[in-house]
Amino acid sequence: MSGYDSALSIFSPDGHVFQVEYASEAVKRGTCAVGVKGKSTVVLGCEKRTTLKLQDPRITPSKICKVDNHILLAFAGLNADARILVDKARVEAQSYRLTLEDAVSIEYLTKYVAGVQQKYTQSGGVRPFGIATLIAGFDKNDTVPRLYQTEPSGVYNAWKAHAIGRSSKTVKEFLEKHYQEDLSEEETIKLTVKSLLEVVQTGAKNIEVSVLRPGNAIQNLDVDEIKKYVDEIEAEKEAEAEKKKPKKD
Amino acid sequence: MDIILGIRVQDATIIATSKAATRGISILKDTDDKTRELNAHNLIAYTGEAGDTVQFAEYVQANIQLYSMRENDIELSPLATASFVRNQLATSIRSRKPYQVNCLIAGYDTKKDQPTLNWIDYLGTQVELPYGAHGYAGFYTTSLLDKHYRKDMVVDDGLKLLKLCLKELETRMPIDFKGVYVKVVDKDGIRSVELD
Amino acid sequence: MNTISQRFTHANTNDVANEINTVHDSLSHKQTLELAPSISVPPISQPTDFLRAHTDDASNPDCKIKIAHGTTTLAFRFQGGIIVAVDSRATAGNWIASQTVNKVIRINPFLLGTMAGGAADCQYWETWLGTQCRLHELREKERISVAAASKILSNLVYEYKGMGLSMGTMVCGHTKKEGPAIYYVDSDGTRLKGDLFCVGSGQTFAYGVLDSEYKWDLTVEEALYLGKRSILAATHRDAYSGGSINLYHINEQGWTYHGNHNVGDVFWDIRDQEQSFVNVDG
Repeated sequence: MSGYDSALSIFSPDGHVFQVEYASEAVKRGTCAVGVKGKSTVVLGCEKRTTLKLQDPRITPSKICKVDNHILLAFAGLNADARILVDKARVEAQSYRLTLEDAVSIEYLTKYVAGVQQKYTQSGGVRPFGIATLIAGFDKNDTVPRLYQTEPSGVYNAWKAHAIGRSSKTVKEFLEKHYQEDLSEEETIKLTVKSLLEVVQTGAKNIEVSVLRPGNAIQNLDVDEIKKYVDEIEAEKEAEAEKKKPKKD
Repeated sequence: MDIILGIRVQDATIIATSKAATRGISILKDTDDKTRELNAHNLIAYTGEAGDTVQFAEYVQANIQLYSMRENDIELSPLATASFVRNQLATSIRSRKPYQVNCLIAGYDTKKDQPTLNWIDYLGTQVELPYGAHGYAGFYTTSLLDKHYRKDMVVDDGLKLLKLCLKELETRMPIDFKGVYVKVVDKDGIRSVELD
Repeated sequence: MNTISQRFTHANTNDVANEINTVHDSLSHKQTLELAPSISVPPISQPTDFLRAHTDDASNPDCKIKIAHGTTTLAFRFQGGIIVAVDSRATAGNWIASQTVNKVIRINPFLLGTMAGGAADCQYWETWLGTQCRLHELREKERISVAAASKILSNLVYEYKGMGLSMGTMVCGHTKKEGPAIYYVDSDGTRLKGDLFCVGSGQTFAYGVLDSEYKWDLTVEEALYLGKRSILAATHRDAYSGGSINLYHINEQGWTYHGNHNVGDVFWDIRDQEQSFVNVDG
């Protein structure tokens, strides 16, 4: 071992901060999360681990968290780290309301979350957050959908559609191929579910979807609704396969 | 002196707060709302030292909102809300600079389906009451409420009783308080009411 | 009520608790304050009493420090934006310290703050507010709302509550989101949004004229005149107000200065023009 990966705030000779890079590895091992922007909606989707036989599914925490009435945050990586970061974001959202008499903008909150993550890459006695986040929502009195991503390093970016976590590369490639501007709400949800199905084999019961609309309207889809989309997509796929068959003959 | 009045009836709790904001010898504003919504079914009405009142109410409001965020949209019950506020004031009175704020908390417990009215003062006294007031308003109206309040009253009866109280206040209070804002907290949440 | 609470707080002078409090206070610093020098408080138990003993000339005419007080300032919202009008006299006790004080602080091209109470307090903290607003603008790529700006100031003065700050101010401005907005902020920590405020020792005289002639549909010219006329009324009756009148108009383009009008000249002009002030000979 070179020793450059033990202390956090130390560069390796070629300019790497290894602990931060290891944190990104933790993200890659986390369950996949997808965000897609439509014309006037943002949809967040998550891969949900199967609950064990004896586990109580009612109190198993969701990977899509409400930060404020108009903001959702989905994450990939270490669940326990995420809890801390989400709580900091929630406190900031309320504190912002208290001091500025206004709801936080999505960009401000993203910047804040990224800022906290950055702080944990440059302070002594701490380790970086092993999570990447997708932050989605609508600013107050605004109908423009917003979708941001943050990384353990503290970098943040805005996206039209994005995926983080396990097999995110496959999902991102899928999204790049199939994304279109100005999708309707229906289409946005469908694209989200479809992209998740690239990496989730087990169908609706292992998918979580939340839909955001302007004006604090957040909706968490239940399993039946997601199943509807999954069935639809599967039917389409089958039809496609059918079409291809005669050609082969 | 601000007027803060609350009446609990069968299906709701009614709150009335004076509209005047007075500083020195001038009324600076006649549309001042001395209430804050803590969550969908809890309303705080406050009076006391200038500055402290709003700072305290908004601080409590932020914390109760934060609770709902953290606990997956679970709403703090009226009793829990009142206990939290009481605890804040009880801590504050033992600090270097206490909040000098008295308040009423009107709530509706959606689980038990019953309205509540909590009376809390700056010393940290908390009590659940059918009707209550802070400041001079109480001196004029408690006798009226004692006489006319009935357990089986509903919102409309409560509003009628409130009108009676306001009439008395308008005739006897030495200072114009510029009328009141009336708010009702019931199973559907918090709403403003215009008295005619 | 105050006395009861005070008795309890005094009874509670616990050394250990005090020490913990001091450490807590020194460790928790507000982010917004980091860029501002903080003000040290005299090392005594009751800063207010100390300050009163040395500065309040009403209770102690021999006091060594006489703080500049006494003012008339006003601001109101109308169809064409906001009018801000102030006098320019500074008094220290019965002594007129200056007739040419600038009581409107230009926080930025869209925000004005008026000054009543302690001149130093207002000047210092409103200039400080300007730096906070600029930082907000740089961080958020958007001009700060009047609501947020006034709240920064009110939160600040609230932290110093009971330590002798003396200010009564109106934060006036225009933003796309809010339109024209006025917030009254004073050193008690009170913060009120409103259409019309008069602040200072001459407020009652200014209210008299302003309330009676105020309409939402005033033209800009009428509104400027009304602002000027209301301050004139106050300078005429309030010994602690006078000098000259500074006038400002705020609309979506920001504020514009409408000149300095000497009360001596304005008085005779208006008296002739209006045929008012008939009790004054000349």
